[in-house]
Amino acid sequence: MTLVAEAFVSQMAAAEPWPESATLYQPLKEDQILLSDCASSLAVQAYLRMCGLPVQVVCRANAEYMSPSGKIPFIHVGNQVVSELGPIVQFTKAKGNSLSDGLDDIQRAEMKAYMELVNNMLLTAELYIQWCDDATAAEISRPRYSSPYSWPLSNILAYQKQWEVRRKMNAVGWGGKTLEQVYEDVNQCCQALSQRLGTQPYFFNKQPTELDALVFGHLFTILTTRLTSTELAERIKSYSNLLSFCRRIEQTYFEDKKNSLKSSMILLINV
Amino acid sequence: MGTVHAKSLDPLPMHGRDLGVHPDDLVEPPEPEQESKQEILENKDGHFCVCSRDVMSHVNGLGRTKEDLLGYEISEVFHAKNLIDVMKKSHIARQRLLRLGIFKEVEVLIDTSEGSDALPNGLDVTFEVTEVKRLTGSYNTMVGNNEGSMVLGVKLPNTFGRAEKLTFQFSYGTKETSYGLSFFKPQPGHFDRNLTLNMYKVTGQFPWSSLKETDRGGSAEFNFPLGMTNHTLKWEGVWRELGCLARSASFAVREESGHSLKSALSHTVSIDSRNSAIFPSRGALLRINQELAGYTGGDASFLKEDFELQLNRRLFWDSVLSASLWGGMLCPIGRQPSCIADRFYLGGPTSVRGFGMYSIGPQSEGDYLGGEAYWAGGLHLYTPLPFRPGKGGFGDLFRTHFFLNAGNLCNLNYGDGPRAHLQKLAECLRWSYGAGIVLRLGNIARLELNYCVPMGVQSGDR
Repeated sequence: MTLVAEAFVSQMAAAEPWPESATLYQPLKEDQILLSDCASSLAVQAYLRMCGLPVQVVCRANAEYMSPSGKIPFIHVGNQVVSELGPIVQFTKAKGNSLSDGLDDIQRAEMKAYMELVNNMLLTAELYIQWCDDATAAEISRPRYSSPYSWPLSNILAYQKQWEVRRKMNAVGWGGKTLEQVYEDVNQCCQALSQRLGTQPYFFNKQPTELDALVFGHLFTILTTRLTSTELAERIKSYSNLLSFCRRIEQTYFEDKKNSLKSSMILLINV
Repeated sequence: MGTVHAKSLDPLPMHGRDLGVHPDDLVEPPEPEQESKQEILENKDGHFCVCSRDVMSHVNGLGRTKEDLLGYEISEVFHAKNLIDVMKKSHIARQRLLRLGIFKEVEVLIDTSEGSDALPNGLDVTFEVTEVKRLTGSYNTMVGNNEGSMVLGVKLPNTFGRAEKLTFQFSYGTKETSYGLSFFKPQPGHFDRNLTLNMYKVTGQFPWSSLKETDRGGSAEFNFPLGMTNHTLKWEGVWRELGCLARSASFAVREESGHSLKSALSHTVSIDSRNSAIFPSRGALLRINQELAGYTGGDASFLKEDFELQLNRRLFWDSVLSASLWGGMLCPIGRQPSCIADRFYLGGPTSVRGFGMYSIGPQSEGDYLGGEAYWAGGLHLYTPLPFRPGKGGFGDLFRTHFFLNAGNLCNLNYGDGPRAHLQKLAECLRWSYGAGIVLRLGNIARLELNYCVPMGVQSGDR
């Protein structure tokens, strides 16, 4: 977000307290949402729960186009609309809720670095697997993405999205990678996270921060989403401290909503 | 192409060449039409000749136009019984040839039949035609509404020789790009029955709703006359993309963003007996249109009806009284609510004067959402300028104008009966009255300067 936009948002945000009617919008859960969007949405939901801010999740087929930046998820608070985790963190900070206040500057820089790592590695890997791998794209991504629309619009939109993501992959240099290399990158990212986490409950000792929310969102979604192969989930399962981290956050913050994270408990317990 | 001949008819001479017919015979009751046998004599480059018992008809100057098309247009000439009739019918044939839009010039020459294949007591009617060029192009620049654009147009008239027309228009602007391709084909012999195929991409910005819309699609339209009425059957398939015009758009408009596909069949019937489209002084217009979407595919599913009625009557002292009434209704079919792009809008200088453009009716945070049912009416009195300055010339283009406009736009609850609907449309009536000056621009537009007093303004209207 540009500096001016940030200033604008914080100015408007500081005026009112968090209302009861805040809503979070994402694509349709059953038929439409894809892995990367689900991960981002879960990260935001986890963050808001950690802050103790109530939010209602609403599913809309056109959520991606409703969002001011074109990315999922976005929240509608009062008459503000804010999308993506970064701006949402800024927005809540302006309202006086922040999870990273207790960190000193070095830790904050470290947190930002790890968040960038997750965004550049995990998120990009998710997008690559969804759209650049032909098998996954044909079997899962394209049918799901275009499910709310009728023919021929469904085909047009699905292919348009695929070309857009592939162009983006080429731009960040992932265009030439193979699936094996991508899995290896994910492995390295998880190794770094696992090392940082160590035996602590959260990344910065006792208190969860936005980094915890982000990592939880991505890892949990990867573990609980069915893809054409289980290779990705297997790589993560090899790090036991990350698994227990996910379970811990799920038990602490998502216990009350029994059906919000379907099939989650069973899957994690079995591992 | 040949020498210059007199183009228009001089006042008809009462005593024409002696064809064995006396002027007194002209008042006889018309004889039963006998199918005069027409033979096509010659048909070589640029020259087409049809011959009947008394009249030989030539058309010179053809290039790519096909002959069978012309046969229909000039066939009336063969039913003429005397010289005056021939002159009248050739004039009509000339109008019909010009109406096809494929000839730049049509000249008629009537002469006695001479030469080796001359008809006894026969007439020679020659049409000298100049075809339009195969390709015409145009280039315009337009500036307005904070946007500049360059418009390129290419037209291919008479593409395949039977008065078809292919047009392509491309507009490249600072904000949006749009283009369209259109193919028009009339039925030979019945120009009023025609088919138009369109393919287009257009973008529009609607600041009153903070909405921008991009439409890509195609349509096929078939026009035909039936008795006094003119019918149009049309299928349209459009991929619509809606988006917010500004970050501050209301959430209700933001919820409408996204893509949808509309595939609709529509039918329009119109009866128009006015003598002009811009400043009619007599006659009436009735147009009824219905559109059904959703049964030929697509996401949007609704039934839409609207009508327009206009009556004009000339009163004392060159003034004209004009009354008009519009109305419409949109019923979504199925559980989906209606889309903002399908709803009706009301307000502004073309419907209810005194209110902002399309700024009447349901709104959310200043953005007008449109409504599913509306009606609007107007009563206008046009008079010449007081004291008639510039009479007979420039002053005739101006009229003074007294008006009374009323209308209402709302959403109906379709569960209630028709009585409740009428009641809902009648309450919260907006109306306005005033006076002004109207200027006619050519035959296509009018410019108005009005002073109006809006009344019945509801909260939320502008």
